[in-house]
Amino acid sequence: MRFSALLRKELWESLPWMILAAIIFLAIGGFLLRAQVYYGQPIWYYSSLSPGNVIDTYQLIHYSPLKFTGPWLLVTSIGLGLVLGVRHFWIPLFTKTWSFLLHRSVSRQTILGAKLAAATVAFILSLGAVWIGLYWYTCRSELFVVPPPGRVFIEGWLFIVLGLVAYLGAALTALSTARWYTTKIFGLAFATVVICMIFIQWRLSWAFAMVIIGIVVLLSQIIDAFLKREF
Amino acid sequence: MKPKDSLKYVAGPSKIFTTVLVLLIAVAILQSIIIQTAMFWKTPSRAEPAKPEKVSEEQKHLEKIRNSAKQFLPDGTIHLVHEFSDTPNVSDDEQKQQEVYDANGSLLWSGLEKNRPYEYLSWSEVPRGHDVFAEWRMKQIYTITPEFSRPLEIPVRSREKTEQVWRYDPTRQLFVGYRVDAGNIGYIGSTGFTDSISRAKSFGTFKRFTAWCPRDSFSPTLLWQTSRCIYEINFEKQQVQLIFESIESNITQIDLHKWRAIRPQTPQDSNIPYRPLIRCLTEDNKHHLIMRNPDRKLTVTVVDDGWNLALSFTATTRGIYLFRRDSERRIPSSLRKSPRLALEWLRKFRGKPYKQWIELYRVDDRGNLDLLNRHDWTVPARPGRVVEASPPWLKVKHCACQFSPPLYDLAWFVLGSEFFAQRYRGYNVVSELIGVISDIRPTNNLWNWLLGIAMAGFAFWHGWPRQTSRAKLIFWLAFTLAFNLAGLLTYLALNHTPIIKCSSCGKDRALGQVNCLRCGTELPTPQRRKLDLILNT
Repeated sequence: MRFSALLRKELWESLPWMILAAIIFLAIGGFLLRAQVYYGQPIWYYSSLSPGNVIDTYQLIHYSPLKFTGPWLLVTSIGLGLVLGVRHFWIPLFTKTWSFLLHRSVSRQTILGAKLAAATVAFILSLGAVWIGLYWYTCRSELFVVPPPGRVFIEGWLFIVLGLVAYLGAALTALSTARWYTTKIFGLAFATVVICMIFIQWRLSWAFAMVIIGIVVLLSQIIDAFLKREF
Repeated sequence: MKPKDSLKYVAGPSKIFTTVLVLLIAVAILQSIIIQTAMFWKTPSRAEPAKPEKVSEEQKHLEKIRNSAKQFLPDGTIHLVHEFSDTPNVSDDEQKQQEVYDANGSLLWSGLEKNRPYEYLSWSEVPRGHDVFAEWRMKQIYTITPEFSRPLEIPVRSREKTEQVWRYDPTRQLFVGYRVDAGNIGYIGSTGFTDSISRAKSFGTFKRFTAWCPRDSFSPTLLWQTSRCIYEINFEKQQVQLIFESIESNITQIDLHKWRAIRPQTPQDSNIPYRPLIRCLTEDNKHHLIMRNPDRKLTVTVVDDGWNLALSFTATTRGIYLFRRDSERRIPSSLRKSPRLALEWLRKFRGKPYKQWIELYRVDDRGNLDLLNRHDWTVPARPGRVVEASPPWLKVKHCACQFSPPLYDLAWFVLGSEFFAQRYRGYNVVSELIGVISDIRPTNNLWNWLLGIAMAGFAFWHGWPRQTSRAKLIFWLAFTLAFNLAGLLTYLALNHTPIIKCSSCGKDRALGQVNCLRCGTELPTPQRRKLDLILNT
């Protein structure tokens, strides 16, 4: 009961940012996808093939119709992660309201759990739902001849999880008691390293393994710091 | 043990891991900046080109013969073909002026290439450039990017429009077909077309493919090579033909000659009755020749000191031929494993003339070789400045790399240079890290070890008064030694605490331990003040 109350509180505080992220991604992603429907039918790409010729194999590679949506999903996701990280962990520091939150008759684990659960729900509800909608829209056979590969759908979810990595990086940086010019920013730096590592992966399993390792490394430090720190 | 207590066993190593990783990257970036800056500013000045010596007409003629293309007629005769590359206003190859000499250097013919009365054998070649799609490229297109990965899609077209698209699924290693007007068609795998995913068999690990449109089709046909098999896939007819399967070892290279039924590129070729040919080289150094018209397979083993990649084959209705080009200067395979021995071998020929030769063999029905003809010539010594000293930026790199962890060297020696050379074939985070490590490793230098010991000494000096346990201090000393500069910075980032003078012995002591390390005196308690009485009650 206490946990759900805390979760509702955190979700309520995150709601404006969730809505903003969902609107930005839906509006821009939807517009770009409509433009793709209007202009980019992939069947035109092959018009240069002619009998009796060796084919330039690079002609056989094509982006998915969701090509232009990807960068926006990534940017929105990381942006939402940073904003929520600041909202959940920095703002109480700036406004010196940590004590009001911590003096309640709930354990610190419950408070931290509610924040992390709220962030996860925020990503699923705002970006995840819109992403599912856009992918479903692209799969309609009357719009595109060939539906986008299932791999693209998974990669989209990977981008959403990267937002969570950015959130955890921001949280760890906020909770660190070190000075800003020493190891305080290492949380965000590590999150950046994890995000960069994903973009040199071609195996989805490796990419997910790296994200999971990154999340475990960040999360363990966040829990340890949150339980020990004096606010 | 409570979860809260057990968490410290995860959080502690996580913190060290995070810090050392970030610092290793920071140090590597700094090293790269220093090396790149040195490369930019310290470019060695170029020596003035040597003044050309006066060359006699006879020497010019000999030079021309040496630099000519060495060609074989179908009967094995060698011709030396010299092409005038400086013919003005000529862009078409057939309009180029040529001279043909016999093996003794006597002029046989001169004129435009298109009028040449001789037709020479052409040879199998590795498809290059955009004609071939290799494994690394496949990994590259499936690499996760902000714009998502890009699939490989093969269209089936009529004259005007695309009717089907076959998409490669790298997970299942087969093709999935889509009809433009009616959704999914089925699957194409190693056993051919099927409409059920459960019946579709994967092709196996992809290595490379080349594609062409046959003369009567607008749709691509693929020659698809996996690690052990070669398939020809016709998407229009939904047919898969197993061209070759290597049971014993993996395929390392394939060359093609007239295999792809495409428009002839030069008119001369059409008069020699070639047979379509694939030369397939396997890891056991066997050349498997796959021919058509009629279909035939032949295995040739060439004892050739690891020079198999440079051999070419061709097949006509009159015979099968092998073309071999070699040089005295080529490093023997026994020396290639050691960079030092290989360099010594090359130095042996520096500034000296050396021999090159070409050989033509006929391959009989059992795969035996019969030498038909051979031509050798001497490559003159090239006078010029021999740069013995390394460029200045290498010295800067040498210095900068001394701050790298000796662990990089350990990885190099444990995994071997062959493993590091493989990184060019890989395309993942491990390959990228391996690339960085091999570039900035300290090469087991004495200075690197001295620096490591100096840093460990500093860590000891810093850590002794601050230690909370002997084991922890030893761990951090070993850590600093192993990671060098990044290790020292990690140690300082995670262990620096303020120290005070012990009230008893006057030596430095940290605030993390109650008793002084040297004299055992407890930390001094602050003097009681007036307000303490109120606060304590």
